[in-house]
Amino acid sequence: MAVGLRLSSELVAGVVVGTILGWVFDRLLSTSPWGLIVFMLLGFTAGVMNVMRSAGVGKKA
Amino acid sequence: MADPIHQFEIQKIFTLGHIGNQEIAFTNSSAYMFAAVAVISVLMLGGSAGRHLIPNRFQSMAELSYEFVANTLKSSIGEEGMRFFPLVFSLFMFILTANMIGIIPYTFTTTSHLIVTVALALLVFLTVFIYGIYKNGLKFFKLFVPHGIPIYILPLIMVIEVISFLSRPVSHSVRLFANMLAGHITLKVFAGFVTSLSALGAVGAAGALLPLAMTTALTGLELLVAFLQAYVFTILTCIYLNDALHPGH
Repeated sequence: MAVGLRLSSELVAGVVVGTILGWVFDRLLSTSPWGLIVFMLLGFTAGVMNVMRSAGVGKKA
Repeated sequence: MADPIHQFEIQKIFTLGHIGNQEIAFTNSSAYMFAAVAVISVLMLGGSAGRHLIPNRFQSMAELSYEFVANTLKSSIGEEGMRFFPLVFSLFMFILTANMIGIIPYTFTTTSHLIVTVALALLVFLTVFIYGIYKNGLKFFKLFVPHGIPIYILPLIMVIEVISFLSRPVSHSVRLFANMLAGHITLKVFAGFVTSLSALGAVGAAGALLPLAMTTALTGLELLVAFLQAYVFTILTCIYLNDALHPGH
């Protein structure tokens, strides 16, 4: 359970931060909804990268 | 059945004053934070008071916790990481003690509130950011530029790395908070089954043995989680601080 929670929190954190960034970006530049879409996708990518890093996938020797 | 959320309620003990219209109160959460600090102070002061060559129990507990954090720090940052020892040791001892106090029945768990863990995680995050820039200057931003990446996808990777960096305090704090919250709710729900089953008469009381055994087992598990989460928080702090000292991997 500890490992699962750790990895899922990494993924969720990436998505949440990406989404918040996109929302703020839209609010400031009134580009709704494009900032949200783009940054949410980037957030997903960052989340997957976080998960891979903390799981130790593709670690450089 | 007993309300499993009730244990997380913040209760005001007395009011300290006002800032604007916001009341600043001394709550049960603050009281348990002071309790954690008091326990740590007693342990460390009592442990270092005797200075025996052959340590007594108090002293060996204090020495053990010192050695443990120092080894964790040295293995992930190296000898120069010892300059962060006061920060990392305080974080580890505070989280560990707060978690451990929370397991005692009728107590309050300060680390089961997101605001507390976010404050701790932001402290680490800002330390990494400010110290990283102070130490490395603009070279700190090499953290966001992994080498060996083709130039045409570099902008994309940089944005993703920045988001990944910003998401660190989120996962760092949510992990500790969620573990403590979930564990305490589970304990309370199973313990609630015991009382509601035993209210059903003899058959129910016999059946209540099952959740009772589960509660006992879960208490042991929670003890492990309390230590493990303090350790995980500490080791992640070390990994993040390592980035401040050596950006660019």
